[in-house]
Amino acid sequence: MPRPGFVLDVDRSTPPTLFWHGEGFRLERLPTGSRVIYPPEPLDALNDPDEAIRRALLEPLDSEPLPALLKPGMKLTIAFDDVSLPLPPMRQPDNRQRVIEAVLDMAAAAGVDDVQLIAALALHRRMTESELRHALGDRIYDAFEPHGLLTQHDAEDPAGMLHLGTTDEGEDVEINKRAAESDLLVYVNINLVAMDGGHKSVATGLASYKSLRHHHNVRTMQHSRSFMDQHRSELHSSNWRMGRHLKAAGVKIFQIETTLNTNTFPDQFAFLQKREWEWKARDRASFLAVSKSLGRTPPRLARRIFHSINAPHEMTSVQAGEVEAVHARTTENVYRQQLVEVSGQTDILTMGLPYICPYNVNSVMNPILVMCTGLGYFFNLYRNNPLVRPGGVLILSHPTPWEFDPVFHPSYIDFFEQVLAETTDPLEIEAKYEESFATDPWYIHLYRTGHAYHGVHPFYMWYWGAHALDHLGGVIIVGGDPAAVRRLGFKPASTMRDALEMATDVVGRDPSITHLHCPPLLMADVSV
Amino acid sequence: MKALVFERSLPRFAAARVAGTLAPGGGARVGPLRLTDVDPPELPGPGWKRVRPRLAGICGSDLATVDGQSSRYFEPIVSFPFVPGHEVVGELDDGTRVVVQPTLTCAARGVEPVCAQCASGNTNRCERTAFGHLEPGLQTGYCADTGGGWSLSLVAHESQLYAVPDGMSDETAVMVEPAACGVHAALLTAASEFAVIGAGTLGLCTIAALRTLTTPHVLIAAAKHPAQKQLARELGADIVVEPDGLARAVRRAVPGTMVAGGQLTSGVDAVFDCVGSESSLAQALEVVAPGGTIVLLGMPGRVSVDLTSLWHREVSVRGAYTYTNDDFAKAFDLVQDARLERLVSGLYLLDRWKEAIEHAADAGRRGAVKIAFDLRNERGLS
Amino acid sequence: MRVRGAFPYGAPTWPGSVPRPPVERRTGVDFETDWARRYPARLARAVFVDQVLRPVVRALVPPHVHGVDRLEALDGPVIFVANHHSHLDTPLLLSALPDRWRHKAVVAAAADYFFDTRLKATLSALVLGALPVERGRASRRPLDQSRALLDDGWSIVIFPEGGRSPDGWGQPFRGGAAFLSVHTGAPVVPVHLDGTGRVLPKGATRPTRDAVHVTFGSPLRPEEGERTNPFAERIEQAVSVLADERATDWWTARRRAATRTTPSLAGPDAGAWRRSWALERGVRKRPVRTWP
Repeated sequence: MPRPGFVLDVDRSTPPTLFWHGEGFRLERLPTGSRVIYPPEPLDALNDPDEAIRRALLEPLDSEPLPALLKPGMKLTIAFDDVSLPLPPMRQPDNRQRVIEAVLDMAAAAGVDDVQLIAALALHRRMTESELRHALGDRIYDAFEPHGLLTQHDAEDPAGMLHLGTTDEGEDVEINKRAAESDLLVYVNINLVAMDGGHKSVATGLASYKSLRHHHNVRTMQHSRSFMDQHRSELHSSNWRMGRHLKAAGVKIFQIETTLNTNTFPDQFAFLQKREWEWKARDRASFLAVSKSLGRTPPRLARRIFHSINAPHEMTSVQAGEVEAVHARTTENVYRQQLVEVSGQTDILTMGLPYICPYNVNSVMNPILVMCTGLGYFFNLYRNNPLVRPGGVLILSHPTPWEFDPVFHPSYIDFFEQVLAETTDPLEIEAKYEESFATDPWYIHLYRTGHAYHGVHPFYMWYWGAHALDHLGGVIIVGGDPAAVRRLGFKPASTMRDALEMATDVVGRDPSITHLHCPPLLMADVSV
Repeated sequence: MKALVFERSLPRFAAARVAGTLAPGGGARVGPLRLTDVDPPELPGPGWKRVRPRLAGICGSDLATVDGQSSRYFEPIVSFPFVPGHEVVGELDDGTRVVVQPTLTCAARGVEPVCAQCASGNTNRCERTAFGHLEPGLQTGYCADTGGGWSLSLVAHESQLYAVPDGMSDETAVMVEPAACGVHAALLTAASEFAVIGAGTLGLCTIAALRTLTTPHVLIAAAKHPAQKQLARELGADIVVEPDGLARAVRRAVPGTMVAGGQLTSGVDAVFDCVGSESSLAQALEVVAPGGTIVLLGMPGRVSVDLTSLWHREVSVRGAYTYTNDDFAKAFDLVQDARLERLVSGLYLLDRWKEAIEHAADAGRRGAVKIAFDLRNERGLS
Repeated sequence: MRVRGAFPYGAPTWPGSVPRPPVERRTGVDFETDWARRYPARLARAVFVDQVLRPVVRALVPPHVHGVDRLEALDGPVIFVANHHSHLDTPLLLSALPDRWRHKAVVAAAADYFFDTRLKATLSALVLGALPVERGRASRRPLDQSRALLDDGWSIVIFPEGGRSPDGWGQPFRGGAAFLSVHTGAPVVPVHLDGTGRVLPKGATRPTRDAVHVTFGSPLRPEEGERTNPFAERIEQAVSVLADERATDWWTARRRAATRTTPSLAGPDAGAWRRSWALERGVRKRPVRTWP
């Protein structure tokens, strides 16, 4: 029986706490009285995921069974989540492979000839062949790719997008033309965190800059509290309006959502998902072996090693059918795995950031992504109230190297060197620079033909942290490149002790401290 | 009279060359420059006035001379021994404060009729700098007859003297000469997209001149040191980047610029190379637009660069040497409008000349821009 | 194994605010000993018992073995029940067992003493062929296990007093052996060990040299419909008779047995000093170093 999440009160006999630190770890002794929030243990997986998928397709929620929707001569499009999900990439077979194979089996049985697969990557980078093969499996890749039927969404292809009008609030709804014109659009999700899925799948994953800008902006993000909680998220409200508009415009969507347990790291890294005082000799030995050998490994190699980790994630649920009905059930399942009750906010929130975030799979986590992971994703892993009080301090632990992947993140480099050198204020950045980056033909060229994130993507990363920037009294990064940290507008500290000392300047003496022991992922349900 | 004198001495010249290569400004300790007592220069003729320097700047070309790095090209147009210093604000016998416009052109040399260039107003291109009744010397500060700013007395022709307006400080006035270089360069092109490489005195003056005298569409500066970056921004650069970020910044700033095999497909109309090194020139060629212009303000010397793109993209490279009299007059407004006195970061007495030169040679790293000798309290007229 | 040093080199401390979960027991009565009865372990034990244990026991305390003839008619698995004075009892009894049982016998050993750590448990199982049982508690697992072992042809050595004698007198027999016999039909062979309490009494660390005697009695079987408790008493009685036989002679012992006047193994029901007084050996001798 997996144990639920847990809030530890640190006392003098508490062993040091593990902090992620990019491609490495730190053991930090937190002051007595601090709290540490541990994620729930992995839920039991479905016994027979393939059977569960089949049942979900045959008995969908608020929808006819999938076979009844499949007719010979119809146009079927299957869209699927891109490389940003799940994290780390899961061991094969990936949920997408299992689900899409099941869908294709039914389509073949129904005699559907016109089938196209689309990687719903919005403004993310295009996936590489090996990434596609990993997500979909060789069977699907080899059957579709050679015929040009396995495509990647191209938001900058003027002939490939279709404008479907605007919502009641005047938001442009523009999505992939093939998807919009299909008789049935099947969207296959991996719902790693509570923000994934629902109407966001199609309305964001298959949309254009013109459409995305209505919710991917500073105002929306500042009013999404948090963007992990769809009922309090302006980001989701906008996507829901667009989703309903799509439905009204006649786009027929069959949504399939799958959830994973938090079994995130393979055996040799088992200590990462255990509580420190329960580390057995074996865990300590592997921790020591891993951290000592990492200390001697060149960063580039260490990165390669970490990015080769495939998570032993297992499927905990699958639901299919009408978008909103499906998503309600999915969200319950995500919460069942990830929610931890926490009472009261904290003056100082600490977190160790890992080597990976949704946008640097197989690449380096550059400073902008550090900001986005800490102030965007992790800060927003809450429901009801932020873990840290207004005006509190966030302490991140990450090496934050001044390093960028020129292939994946070309616009990030310019954003960092030109935009952030001028200002770190999200509103000013948005007003002054977003348009020119979004329309830069070079970035568009790299996005469409290479493997580059869209020119506007670093802006979204910054907006992702806008709510936190608004909320916090200060951000300190422990162990980061000081120049890069200052460029982000944060304060560098060399040790956790220094950082806590610096934080007292902002929050006062004897602050309350809470550490988010994550990943594996959790979501804090914070009552005040 | 106390003066820093540059003498012709081959061993010392060689030593300076070695020391200057090891450490910028190293030539000061072993080179042919030394502080000594000399007779004040005599007035060469009518129209000449004695000027007692108040402030005299140390210029990049002075440093190259001290370190033995300057080109042999100058050999026929300098005369030894000379007292360096051509950025001079001084005082006439009647107490009038003046800025010396140092170029020794036909007018100063008593050449009649004046050469074609002087006649057309391009006095900086004067063809007679080795002729006339003066010893050869392209400027005050390189001529044996006139003396130079790094001493207590020099002589200058009336045509060289520009009165300092009341209320203008010596520090502001000493910036007129370098600012005039910026003015001259800024007015050479009709472009609207600019990149300035280097943010020493010349670079910053160019930025200020471009901002004040033209209407730049975009003005990008590449600066190495934090203080330089700050000043570049204050003086009007739209975008300030590290030198190795220049290409990226230009690509961003100039709409439609793509990258093919690491080369920009387009670039800025005009690049001002205020460094004058091989790498700065190569970088200028990298970021200039097809048909654009590279203006060399820094003195390049002997360099080796690939000119294929210059040929293929029909790029013009042109020098920008000093200024015309018009430019010089305009510089008085510029130094005031842009408050260029803030570039004067250090004043030294003549006795501490070695430290002064080392400071000037290492100015960027030490957060300084212009180092000058302060001669206002010097006594020692013998 | 416990490596000393600060976490993570050493074991982590346990936060005060977190209740400790019940320790998952893999020692004690739950220690798995099946491996010790597989061929490699048996071979190792046989070599050890024959080549090390017996010579050492013979050299140290040459045992006088009596009554082996009473076992001649017996075949198959047997429950050996003996009184218990000393750690020497098990090696002594093992080395005195007739060959046909010696290499296929397990010793029921107190789980809390012999199986409390993994190292001790492993050694006990390997060297003595020990089987963990809980003292004074009839729990399911050891009984099931014993029954399975008997079915499998293994004999079991049981010291039903549940521990070594604290004062030289015997303690009451518990019913485990009788229960096992009643439920499996395996015969019980009473065994009396004499002298081990003098050689290596409880609490001593160095043995003294003295004669020891091992007396096997006639096998007992539960009678038709006999329940555990009466049978257990019969077993205890049988061991007492053997003790009497050792102290006097066979005939005297038989007669006293017939009249139910055999002296109790447990000694007089009296205060501590009188019990010691009545023990003819009197106070413990000062240990004399005899070996080597």
